Amino acid sequence: MYKKLALAIAFSPRMEALIAEARKLIQIFEGELILIHVGTKTPELEAQLSEVLSRHCGDLGRIKTIWKEGKPAKTILKTCEEEKVDLLVLGALKKEGLLTYYVGSVARKVIRKSTCSVLTMIEPKIETTHFSKVVINGTELEITPRVIEKGLKFCQAEKSTQVHILNEIKMYGFKMATAAEGTETEVANTRRKLVKEEIDYVQRILDKLAPTDLKINIKVTAGKWAVELVRFCESIESDLLIMGVDQGFSFIDRIFPHDIEDVLIELPCNLLIVK
Amino acid sequence: MEKLTHNEVVILLLQLATMLVLARVFAEIARKFKQPAVVGEILAGLLLGPTILGTFFPDAFEFLFRSHPMSNIALAGYSQVAVVLLLFIAGLEVDLNLVLSQGKRALNISFYGLVIPFAFGFTAPFFFAEFFGFSEGNKLLFSLFMGTAMAISALPVIVRTLMDLNLFKSRMGMMIVSAAMVDDIIGWMIFSIILSFMGKEAGGIGIGYTILLTVGFAAFMVTVGKSLINRVLPWINKHLAWPGGLISLSLAACFFAAAFTEFIGLHAIFGAFIIGIAIGDSEHMTERAKEIIHQFVNNIFAPVFFVAIGLKVNFIANFDPWLVLVVILVAYAGKVIGCGFGALQGKLDKYEALAIGFGMNARGAMEIILGLIALENGLITEKLFVALVVMALVTSMTSGPLMRWAMNKRKEGLEYDPFIK
Repeated sequence: MYKKLALAIAFSPRMEALIAEARKLIQIFEGELILIHVGTKTPELEAQLSEVLSRHCGDLGRIKTIWKEGKPAKTILKTCEEEKVDLLVLGALKKEGLLTYYVGSVARKVIRKSTCSVLTMIEPKIETTHFSKVVINGTELEITPRVIEKGLKFCQAEKSTQVHILNEIKMYGFKMATAAEGTETEVANTRRKLVKEEIDYVQRILDKLAPTDLKINIKVTAGKWAVELVRFCESIESDLLIMGVDQGFSFIDRIFPHDIEDVLIELPCNLLIVK
Repeated sequence: MEKLTHNEVVILLLQLATMLVLARVFAEIARKFKQPAVVGEILAGLLLGPTILGTFFPDAFEFLFRSHPMSNIALAGYSQVAVVLLLFIAGLEVDLNLVLSQGKRALNISFYGLVIPFAFGFTAPFFFAEFFGFSEGNKLLFSLFMGTAMAISALPVIVRTLMDLNLFKSRMGMMIVSAAMVDDIIGWMIFSIILSFMGKEAGGIGIGYTILLTVGFAAFMVTVGKSLINRVLPWINKHLAWPGGLISLSLAACFFAAAFTEFIGLHAIFGAFIIGIAIGDSEHMTERAKEIIHQFVNNIFAPVFFVAIGLKVNFIANFDPWLVLVVILVAYAGKVIGCGFGALQGKLDKYEALAIGFGMNARGAMEIILGLIALENGLITEKLFVALVVMALVTSMTSGPLMRWAMNKRKEGLEYDPFIK
């Protein structure tokens, strides 16, 4: 599924954990690994890197490391395109400071603009993370069938124990208020119908896919989907949230956060953006 | 503190009771014909007001609505609160999230759906002012009002129609809803600006200042105001009774905002509408709470407000068939051409474009509120008000059936030609 993985490294304290996580992923996907560092290549850094690599990737032979100078986010994105990377892995803070959020951190910029899938790890571990409880965004968007398909493949490879697909009823309160012009039974029927429609939407997508042995739960919420996704991930302490991005985002979207921006304000868990 | 006498209290309660009962009876009849409740409520007003009761049973009308002026003042206060609450829930309905995620696709429809009806509504009274009952005052303001009256739409009617036709979740449904939301926000802003110019032509505040105040207040509320709300609501949800705390405090916020805008020279309804948007957009305002506020306003305050409209105006004496016809024609032409053109620009086919035009054409309760405020401010005559109310009812009643017709045509067309364009 992901044959070419890239890991963006910044020689931060979390670098070793990120390398360990990337190592685990290429084992699962039987892919190859590229390391990208934006900054000057110095013998000290090279030595530091090869020491960490020998500890975690000793069996892999030579690993391609790309050293480039320039603006971090732009350079990472450009390198991924040149190298035809399938999945970019990077570390990110759970929450940015207010100023960083508006100006945009490297990780958030990459997530917003990347053309390949991006896995953002908020707590990479040297002993690696098992993505056991996974939440997939099932809200009705053009990209959703693809997100569910790719997401389930990822979960299968990772052997996740529980997958939740979340879909939401848009403008539920308003709809129910307009429906309330009917009798009690009609209102109850409308309520049932609204929930059923959302379950059916996800079910229809699942029916088109090859059956899996994953435990899949379809959950319907009401309200803003991105906010509900974050809340749900937090309440079940999920390990990974999978979603898609199907439009470009600008500064305006940060002033009026919606959709993915609601998630980026504070990442509830690790995040896989499917492209 | 002044208080109502024993008799005045009895009359006030009798007024409220009769209005609620008749509003319910006629709303139910409207429901049987798949029409919005507001249609029935206006009819109930015609029955109770000078139009029918006053003409055929003048004694009963006199006893109930003319004998005790203090009761009428109390009733007017109730209606005033009702209109503020109606605009508050209209604001709650606006889903900025949905508007933003629809992005440019819906923008065409909302742009043309606003500009073309506005232009139609503006031009006709500007050149034929006397026909529209304009006598004295500022012709420009009058024409601007007519433009706004043509541009506004009724979201509840649109949503209801889309749900009935199973179109809400479709691409077209989402476009209509978000386009209507954008048009309403801009429409109410323009109306608020027009209102603040009423009766203060000389030495009043400047136009630039009023626009700045209106846009500034709206911008402030949806950014800084909203982030404040986002901080306060979680605390309210956690520590106060639910949903009691949330509902009473958000209504208090609505009244504060309404008082504030009224104080700075904009109309109270504008503050209520904008704070409705800000509160409704907060993720901590749960859908359940929104539903409760809707029910509360729609079933306790709205009926009395709409019935009271029939009490104020004699619909038969003020019915001018030509004026009504022209207003209806301008309304249809503006929205159907405007939204249809916008939809075609957005690469939708011709039947979809027609359906969008018919859908957005519903003016419903919002038009009636707009008209009533204009009437109370002396901007329009009773004849024009009656024409606007009839137009609001006709556009709302026909919106569903016409949309269904257009979509059926499209389906038939698709059977013959799958590439209908």
